[in-house]
Amino acid sequence: MKKYDVVIIGAGPAGLAAAVSAREEDASVLVIEREARPGGILKQCIHDGFGLIRYREKLSGCEYASREILKTRESGAEIQTLSFVSRITKLEKGFVLLLSSRHGMSNIFARSLILATGCRERTARQVAVHGTRPAGVLTAGTAQYYLNVLGQLPGKRCVILGSGDIGLIMARRLTLEGAEVLGVYEAKSEPGGLSRNLYQCLEDFDIPLHLSTTVLEVHGKERVQGVTLVKVDENLTPLPGTEEDLSCDALILSVGLIPENELAQNLGAVIDPVTKGPVADEDGMTSVPGLFSCGNAYHVSDLADYVSESGERAGRAAAVWTPGNIPSTLPVTAEKNLLYVVPQGIRRQPQEKIVFYFRCSRTLQGAILRVRLGENEILQKHYDILRPAEIEKVILNLSGKDLCSCERLTFSLEEL
Amino acid sequence: MKKLTCIICPRGCRLEAQEIDGDILVKGHACPKGEAFAKSELTHPMRCLTTSVKTCFPELPWLPVRTGKDIAKEDIPRILREIRRYRLEKEVHCGDILIENVAGSGSPLIATLECCADSLARKE
Amino acid sequence: MKRSLQYKLDKLCSGRIHREKHHGIIHLTGHCSEWQQAVEAGLLAAKKGSRTHVVNDIVPDSQVMEHPLGSLPDLRDNSLDGRHPDVLIIGGGVIGCAIARELTKSKLDILLIEKEYDVAVHASSRNDGVIHPGIDLLPGLLKKKYNNRGNPLYDQLARELDIPFERVGQHLVFQKRSMKLPAIASLLYFNLSVAGKVRFIEKNKLHRLEPGLSDRAAFALFFEGAGIICPFNLTIALAENAIQNGAEISLNTAALSMDLTRRGKKYITAVHTNRGTIYPRLVISAAGVFAEEIARMAGDRFFSIHPRKGSSVILDKKVKANIHSVYSFLQGWNANRHSKGGGIIPTIHGNVLVGPDAVEVREKEDFSTHRDNLQAVFEKQKNISNWLNPADTIAYFSGIRAATYEEDFILEKGRQTENILHAAGIQSPGLTAAPAIALKMEKMALTYLSRFGNVPSNPSFNPYRKAPPHLASLPEKERDRLIRQNPDYGQILCRCEEISKGEILDAMRRPLPCFTLDGIKRRVRPTSGRCQGGFCAPLILPLIAEEAKILPENVCKGVPGSRILFGEKGEGREEI
Repeated sequence: MKKYDVVIIGAGPAGLAAAVSAREEDASVLVIEREARPGGILKQCIHDGFGLIRYREKLSGCEYASREILKTRESGAEIQTLSFVSRITKLEKGFVLLLSSRHGMSNIFARSLILATGCRERTARQVAVHGTRPAGVLTAGTAQYYLNVLGQLPGKRCVILGSGDIGLIMARRLTLEGAEVLGVYEAKSEPGGLSRNLYQCLEDFDIPLHLSTTVLEVHGKERVQGVTLVKVDENLTPLPGTEEDLSCDALILSVGLIPENELAQNLGAVIDPVTKGPVADEDGMTSVPGLFSCGNAYHVSDLADYVSESGERAGRAAAVWTPGNIPSTLPVTAEKNLLYVVPQGIRRQPQEKIVFYFRCSRTLQGAILRVRLGENEILQKHYDILRPAEIEKVILNLSGKDLCSCERLTFSLEEL
Repeated sequence: MKKLTCIICPRGCRLEAQEIDGDILVKGHACPKGEAFAKSELTHPMRCLTTSVKTCFPELPWLPVRTGKDIAKEDIPRILREIRRYRLEKEVHCGDILIENVAGSGSPLIATLECCADSLARKE
Repeated sequence: MKRSLQYKLDKLCSGRIHREKHHGIIHLTGHCSEWQQAVEAGLLAAKKGSRTHVVNDIVPDSQVMEHPLGSLPDLRDNSLDGRHPDVLIIGGGVIGCAIARELTKSKLDILLIEKEYDVAVHASSRNDGVIHPGIDLLPGLLKKKYNNRGNPLYDQLARELDIPFERVGQHLVFQKRSMKLPAIASLLYFNLSVAGKVRFIEKNKLHRLEPGLSDRAAFALFFEGAGIICPFNLTIALAENAIQNGAEISLNTAALSMDLTRRGKKYITAVHTNRGTIYPRLVISAAGVFAEEIARMAGDRFFSIHPRKGSSVILDKKVKANIHSVYSFLQGWNANRHSKGGGIIPTIHGNVLVGPDAVEVREKEDFSTHRDNLQAVFEKQKNISNWLNPADTIAYFSGIRAATYEEDFILEKGRQTENILHAAGIQSPGLTAAPAIALKMEKMALTYLSRFGNVPSNPSFNPYRKAPPHLASLPEKERDRLIRQNPDYGQILCRCEEISKGEILDAMRRPLPCFTLDGIKRRVRPTSGRCQGGFCAPLILPLIAEEAKILPENVCKGVPGSRILFGEKGEGREEI
């Protein structure tokens, strides 16, 4: 059985960054990838806007992936493609992974294991779209694969449900490549994607955005022939009498991403009901010692740059982690106006730089982030505007702080 | 006064741009790039165009590409038409220039993904 | 009695309904305003289980939406023209395919036609897959008889067809402790009248066996005979085995009309289809919701079918750990006369189903689902367990039951027409009963065909059908061996269900070929997991195109015309 210090599942931006940083700590590293080529979902992200933080350049998703792949190859990490983790067994001093590949079944030993499995898209059924089930109902990511990888049009008259970033990006892509996008419909009262995407993907092409509206039913037997739209109240309950039929041949959904965590769950990792990812510390270590999570498998970010950062931290920590070392953690809690803060806990060791990410629960025009260590406020930060669609990053310096005697680190947002 | 959203970075500053006596006054930007963006947006809006070109490789039938520089927004349909006629018949690397001055836009068209034997994961 | 029935009918539809009894049928004619009233009138006029059937010709004032034969294939050719099969089976559901397989035991020319693009497209793929013990079936019904005969046949059938089947049992859960004595008293009745043994389960034991049950569960009766199977895997396996043994299955083929002559009784001389005219000796109708139309074509319409829709929810595999058996609350001793009110069902593939409900509908092929129905399905079951959560929904579906007004099976030879056999009114527990119904139909067919001479048995009949390998469920060594023989078995394309490229290619290379995403899904399960095909559908599509030698844009999701793509990306907008 081949043995590695660090095994990483998934060769997307999180997994690749983890591999490089684990190699920097001189660990032996294997990255396992199901697809034929590394890069993850970035391979189909041909649009630009990636890498502004990480490379200080405006890159397309593919270019960003190419750079990460190159770095990983140079680092000496092994990448094994067309391989699928069928089963993981936790041992006292590590993990045994059963792999399926074109060469047969094999077992790999990992001292520490990083899950960089990314996320999946919420489907039509998960947002209670009813009616018939013809061809032409698909998620934005799937539409993106058809259009960008296969060069095929998945619709000619498209309705987009949900204003997540992939949906907005696809509205532009479809319009440029010969389809008509009739409109983007969002059940919530606020758009879900980044403001710049609303501007450059919708406004540039005069594609209307309809808020507080959802798709109730799909019509058509063979191919989508139309949808019934309905207005919804603030609880997303349809308002009777507001139904309206719209003829179209495709319904494309961009209604949210869910971290892929079946492997973590099977290993017994505690899952955060809000992020749907594992509960983890600042290094991404889950409640299972030696099991790390990073990138969109940990919590869904709106920037690949943050995904890479999270991979780097997990890679470094996984490389230096030794079995039996179970640090005591200080819980981190999200209070008023916050949807979540990650990490959900930090090691009780004073550090100079700990990176937190948070999402607010509603749009706030002017807010103050307050961070309290026990009873003491240790940070105040002002924001002009905060939107739930946009993740915020904040760095705390906890050097010299007593993390052992207090009960928790608390984040809250005060509206101005 | 025109309301804009800066597309330079993910922060997406909401800008207000107003032309006063031939000068453009910008509000809401967090950095100088935002101011420049607003000015350009009012006079000659520029965009980066990303799309894909057909290749002769079955493992990668479409190669993602982008304009190396931002190009005039109004030129997008014209540039796309030229790109559609292009067919990649040789291996290229990420960053390689496919067309020097695509549709006279002043910008090159560059490959944004590796397209070579190594990256195509050809079966042994 | 008669008068009071007519009184009720008059009251229901303002005196616009005429009821006449002749030739052993109750014929209803006239008008009503809504379809529901026509159904209600049929149910009023019928006696449950009676052989005197209601033929319902009441015309609702509202317009009919659907062709009486449902959607018909566009395909037109003469591939079947002039064929003289001994037996023509109409309908490729579980009943038709099971009959075809049974008949291949004899040396016969068997042709099965199915109007859809695949077998098991209607009710046979749109049900909960429970092999019932027959709890709520009244003795005397054919449903009861064939349920109890069919149920015990499943262990062997599943072995022969190489498909998974599990007798997980069913808990009929009681909420009121006061029901304990009547429940214990009922054990004797149940043990005499259902398939498999029945046991009383005390509260403590019940909660130990099914920790996911809510506190409301006071005790239960456990029916050992209940099992779970995949209804479409079963139907496909029956079809494949029938083909292996010499039967022919022609898809996209609809019976459109029949030529009849009269020699005493009527006689079918020809069956016209979209693929030519067929001259069968014997016709067996296993046409599900269209059985009445086939009977009409054969000049032998003595019953009516009223479609009844049921919708169910499919939950993510991660909740399967909470449930070990089928369970449902007792809804009252005299449970709803049409349906047992649904329950919670673990599926053989490791998901959980909730439902179904029962709604009378007019259209026979409207498989749409609606928010209100599914909410009601959850509402009904929400108190039974402590884990049920609508957020775990990954999909939902509906099926349409082919109910007669007598609410019983019809398994008989033509009343007016000599050479037709009807397997009609097959609704729940039709899946359980299918193997027994097939045996009964086989016997009737052989009796009829023996008049033309001795029917020899088929010496090369092989009841065993080998399923394509399912790699993820194999032991590591066996899996490794298969991958070394065929590396495609090692490359996983569907990550949710862990299905390899090799298994997907297998699905397209079976005796009954299929080149659609939904067909492959029913055979080997990709796109049925929690991503619902988001990741794997675009990977499978090019494989289908390559295997079927068609362009990617001609690959269909399911029914002909359900194209997924519009071809290569084209010219975009002229102005921005």
